[in-house]
Amino acid sequence: MLSGGGGGSGGGGGGAGGGGGAGGGSGGGRSPKPSFVSYVTPEEINLTEKEISRKEKQPDLLQGEVIFCSASPIRKCTQDDFSQRGIFGSLFCTNFRISFISDETQLEEEEGQVFKNKLYGENDIPLTCVDNIYRGFDEKKKLITSGSVRNKYPSKIIIHCKDLRVFQFSLAFAKEEDAKKIFQGIVHHCLEPKSLKCIFAFSYSEKMTFSSENQTKLKTVMFDSMVDWAQEMKRTKGNCKLVSANADFNISTKYIWCWSHHSGCALFKTASLPLMQEDGCSQSYRTYMERYCTCVKTEELPETLPTIQDIQQSYNKFKQFFLVDNTTEFWMSDVKWFSSLENSGWLDIIRQCLTKAVEVVECLENENTNVLIMEEEGSDLCCVISSLVQVMLDPHFRTLEGFQSLVQKEWVAGGHHFLDRCNYLHKDKESPVFLLFLECVWQLLQQYAPAFQFSETYLTVLSDSVDVSVFSTFLFNSPHHRATTIQPVSLLAQKGPLNLPTVWDWSVQFNSAAQDFFTNPLYVEKSRQDKVPRKTFRPKHQRHQSLPSTAFKSSPKKSFFKDETDSLKKMLRVKRISRWLNPTDLTQSTTREFYEAWQRKPLDYHGLLLPCVDGPALRVWAQRYLRWLPEVQIFGGGAMTLEKKLVDLLAEVRELRGKLDWHCSVDFSHRGAAALAGSSVRLSSAFPFFVSRTWSFKPAIPSCLQKNLITGTFADKEDEDSECLGVI
Amino acid sequence: QCNILSLSLAHWECVLQRATLVRKKLSVRGGGGWRSGTLFCTHFRVAFVPKDSPKRDENTDLVFLEDHDVALASIEKVVAVGASRTKVVTANSTLKFAPEELLLYCKDFQVFCFLFDRLTPDTQVMEMTCAIARAYQPPRPGAVLAFQNSAMGSVEMKQFLSNRQRDTSMNWFEAAADWEAELERTGAVGWRVSGINERFEMAASLPRFNVVPQKVLDTELKNTFAHFSDGRIPRWCWRHPSGADLLRMASFQNDIYHERDDVRNLEALVFGGQRQCVIVELVEEMPTPADIHVARTRLRALCLGDVSLPVAVPDDKWLSTLEGTHWLDHVRCCLRKAAEVSRLLREGHLTVILQEADDRDLNCVVTSLVQVMCDPHCRTVTGFQGLVQKEWVMAGHRFLNRFNYHRDRDKEEAPVFLLFLDCVWQLWAQFPSQFQLTVDYLLALHDSVHLPLFSTFLANCELERSRHTKHLPQCYTPVNGWREGLLPPGPNSLLDPPLPPVWDWALQYSICKRACFIQPRPPAAPRPPVLNGNLNLSKVNRALGSVFLLSHGTFSCPPQLLPWRAGGGATPYRKSHRRAPSAEESPAPERLLRAWNLTDASAPTPHQDPWEPLLPLLLAPCVGLWKECYLRGALQAQPELTSCHLVEQLSQEVQRLKEALAPPSAPKAADSGGERRVQ
Repeated sequence: MLSGGGGGSGGGGGGAGGGGGAGGGSGGGRSPKPSFVSYVTPEEINLTEKEISRKEKQPDLLQGEVIFCSASPIRKCTQDDFSQRGIFGSLFCTNFRISFISDETQLEEEEGQVFKNKLYGENDIPLTCVDNIYRGFDEKKKLITSGSVRNKYPSKIIIHCKDLRVFQFSLAFAKEEDAKKIFQGIVHHCLEPKSLKCIFAFSYSEKMTFSSENQTKLKTVMFDSMVDWAQEMKRTKGNCKLVSANADFNISTKYIWCWSHHSGCALFKTASLPLMQEDGCSQSYRTYMERYCTCVKTEELPETLPTIQDIQQSYNKFKQFFLVDNTTEFWMSDVKWFSSLENSGWLDIIRQCLTKAVEVVECLENENTNVLIMEEEGSDLCCVISSLVQVMLDPHFRTLEGFQSLVQKEWVAGGHHFLDRCNYLHKDKESPVFLLFLECVWQLLQQYAPAFQFSETYLTVLSDSVDVSVFSTFLFNSPHHRATTIQPVSLLAQKGPLNLPTVWDWSVQFNSAAQDFFTNPLYVEKSRQDKVPRKTFRPKHQRHQSLPSTAFKSSPKKSFFKDETDSLKKMLRVKRISRWLNPTDLTQSTTREFYEAWQRKPLDYHGLLLPCVDGPALRVWAQRYLRWLPEVQIFGGGAMTLEKKLVDLLAEVRELRGKLDWHCSVDFSHRGAAALAGSSVRLSSAFPFFVSRTWSFKPAIPSCLQKNLITGTFADKEDEDSECLGVI
Repeated sequence: QCNILSLSLAHWECVLQRATLVRKKLSVRGGGGWRSGTLFCTHFRVAFVPKDSPKRDENTDLVFLEDHDVALASIEKVVAVGASRTKVVTANSTLKFAPEELLLYCKDFQVFCFLFDRLTPDTQVMEMTCAIARAYQPPRPGAVLAFQNSAMGSVEMKQFLSNRQRDTSMNWFEAAADWEAELERTGAVGWRVSGINERFEMAASLPRFNVVPQKVLDTELKNTFAHFSDGRIPRWCWRHPSGADLLRMASFQNDIYHERDDVRNLEALVFGGQRQCVIVELVEEMPTPADIHVARTRLRALCLGDVSLPVAVPDDKWLSTLEGTHWLDHVRCCLRKAAEVSRLLREGHLTVILQEADDRDLNCVVTSLVQVMCDPHCRTVTGFQGLVQKEWVMAGHRFLNRFNYHRDRDKEEAPVFLLFLDCVWQLWAQFPSQFQLTVDYLLALHDSVHLPLFSTFLANCELERSRHTKHLPQCYTPVNGWREGLLPPGPNSLLDPPLPPVWDWALQYSICKRACFIQPRPPAAPRPPVLNGNLNLSKVNRALGSVFLLSHGTFSCPPQLLPWRAGGGATPYRKSHRRAPSAEESPAPERLLRAWNLTDASAPTPHQDPWEPLLPLLLAPCVGLWKECYLRGALQAQPELTSCHLVEQLSQEVQRLKEALAPPSAPKAADSGGERRVQ
């Protein structure tokens, strides 16, 4: 398959001979699909034909995938601090990806390769996944912008991917014209604005037929029909009348403003997110709302949260720390690691979002008011906050299917501008809003692991999938956009509407063994008794009332004890004095009280979850950001080993239980990372993603002074002692 | 009155003050929330008895402190929180308001928070606060003694303590046999246990027994002590299964004349049985004890979020403040050094000598870290205790001065041992499944350090320690004047309570807490090491071995590295700072370099070799803060259920299931057998 780049330890150069004859043999190629709308110049197509003839070196094309151009020999550099190693091979640019095929004999499926993406391999970069391309010369690099290249081509290009991989290709060995073409082709297809129809998903889905069985098999509620909405209402016991009216409105008009509506955990709590585009409409909507709800609390998000541009800037700064071209650079950043992370502000944005969500939860849970989250377009931070609130409040959304439904409801049906935000078309509206949401969920997940059915691997994969331009989920700006885009195509092709795969059909990307990694082995399923439909909310509410700690507002013990609120406030005042001086932070203090009150209650993984947003509590999503860096991978260590132990234990428990046929109160999920069970392979801490293939022990001691060793303090050698080399 | 009864007072313990209707904020691990009960202050502890606490079982082992208690000696600061202000209460301060709340900041990063009730008389509240404030702060060195006396000064207690059996499963490294057992365990040959220092005549800070090369006789050994500062000669610590030996020593005494006989013995001491020797200096690149102390103080301020301080660190500046403490940098420094040494040892056939000026601080950290990394035995509870005993207690780490229990050595105070514990935690966090001991154990040890009750920590060296106990055969008074400074000044009243060792965990922790010290599913015990290659001792005498200095990540061989070599007619080397050109002085560095780079193909075996060193990753994203310890007291802390706890739960479950499965299976088998017979 496409897993070429391995080989590793031997060091580069071996395969150089095989890469010769780049321009050889023409003719006989397939012509590109006529249906494909393309920017490709004729000469590039010619080149395609040439390359196709060399079948042995061709990537396995997906349906509807066409090679634009290619070049060889290209050297893929893997840089460590000592030497430039590299693998020779050919570089292809197709309408889906940039693909590097190694000349070296490809190692067959390795043991660790259970987690393999079916769509693209480890040496492939989907075009939409390319973040930045740099021209590399000497020790420096320079950003390439779409307009800037015409006749030149650099000897080395560095590609930064959105999933944080870094590739370095040396073009110096290829023929000049090939190199020029591939370079221009890559730059053209990766950086220049293009039309929606050019995105690979369309040519892909034309050729692929996704059986509708596949779709129905999925339990994810898609929220594209009225029934879905009605059921969701029923599930949450929302205000049915209001809902059906809204749902009807939503579906029938398919107007650009799309809003969704969810009800909180208690009966009379409702939060809505309207699009405040035209004042008249929103006003009428407002009055409409107020007729049904006794009171509405409005949260203006732009006032307190960062703007979309802030998010983008901050993330850009943040990710630079993980896009490592060479290890020395990484070690340089090491000294000021924490403060530079802090300066990027990304963690603080996450903190702000979580805090805001807690505020909203407080309104719903404590004050029982309806909350109206408002934002200019109602589809960016509104989505973040509303879905976060739901994840915190409703255990259903912490299951795999529930979470997928949530994304479908709040983001897809809610009209998040995925197309713009993911920057598929290079239109400068990029902002990682969805990623921000996933980050927030990850923070929750790592704080309350047993409450979530999905694992962090799932979140990481989901965040990667956003940049694979195959899934309908992330292709459109709104359901309306989706409907209008899909419709005409179907007329032309005289088929049914385009059947684009959704991201939730994980079998498109992963086989079932790999999908096991999506479930969290720590997840504590609800015990059977509790599973009676929707009972959980009610008891929680009662508990909520009866516990003395909620008695902040009206303490029954007030006569007996000095009101603990006072003292608590005092402590807060003293501790957080800087905050208290700021009048706008008044809400924050009540939120803190709310958090503290909640914290005193015994933790219920199937109830309300509030994140801790203190300085030390927010962490870097290590799996996502550090997975490609061999320097920070712990071999034979890390959380992975514990997880493996857990899986083993679970298997044992299950086996014993099977023997005993004994029903226990504690019931852990039995699936999850089954591939781990029983194996004694030494795993890396970045396990499912980065397999220990080309690694050295290097990581253990970062010392920039090691170069001194090489430059040779010892020139003279003596082999006398070499006989007693005993290596374990 | 009935409340007093529920406090299980020892006979000698008297209650100084009592306050009723108090609520205690429960720790996060204890489930959070508040519990009401009664607060006591005795000479020894601040005790809190919850209202509905179960009667204490008379049969249980004696426990110094119960779950809700805090020892007076571990309190660092008492803060009274009133309606409108907060005040740090000390022994001399007068309280002008009745506090509503009492915060006890402890040295071990715990924070106890007590809430007084309106019905509690103000005088009682104020008296309680003042009582604690007066009692906790030892104003003079003798206060610790008073504390000890109140804890175990009674006749019954003394009797109880002297009757206690010591843990025989661990190696105490007190007798010659203990060291021999260690030599045998590691498979070290060519070494012997020397009793030359049995009466502490040679080196006062060294233990009675030391391991030296076999071929150096005691009579020869005698003269070598003077060549090292404080007489701390190179001593064997550990042998890597690859055949490399780890030694430690103090710096050389340079102003001494090297006689030819001495030189021969010194060479033998340094090289052991090997031909190559690498000296690792722990002066440069490493934090000084003062640095460690400063970092620790800053870390405390950051993590405790002290309410009596005017400005707290805002959340968005937390990380850079953490960076500013440099605590993690020091941790990384130590781990890096230890990893370097581990990799050298892995290559085998050389001796690695750790050299520090006085061989009593960072040498302890690095030698023991190397062993934790390389030796699976040291990752078990018994092995770890033996390790601390060997490299810290016996080796003469100045526990007493570094922890400054008597508050009379402020300049020397430095939590070097706590830095070591943090390093071990880092290793634990990166390789959790390679350890048998748990975080709970490390925490217990961390907390015990702050309790001045244990002989382990209440002495600077073995000589002092043995003076406290009656185990000393005869009280030997040294004749030479130079040792006098080592005698503890003043009346030797410390003899009074027989101090127990810290390893007697039953004194502090109940049985269920002790059960958490060991991981439920420990890694399999490794096979005994297979010696790799033979030692060719005859070779050694042929020529001088080669010696290198490892510093700043490079090897070098400065001519004056071994002072006796530089002195003997080799003056040209010293003048020109060239490296020694002879092949004699720089042989085969590529082997060391390879050990260094470790890019060899043999290394990446997918299956874990138990003797493979645990080389920690030291880049900033991989080094974490020990939250379970340092953030315990943070007010907004929250419980985190980690995989670790789940492993614990699950293995209990497995245990339960197995137990449930066991009895029915026996009759079943019998039944089926019976049926078969019937058929």
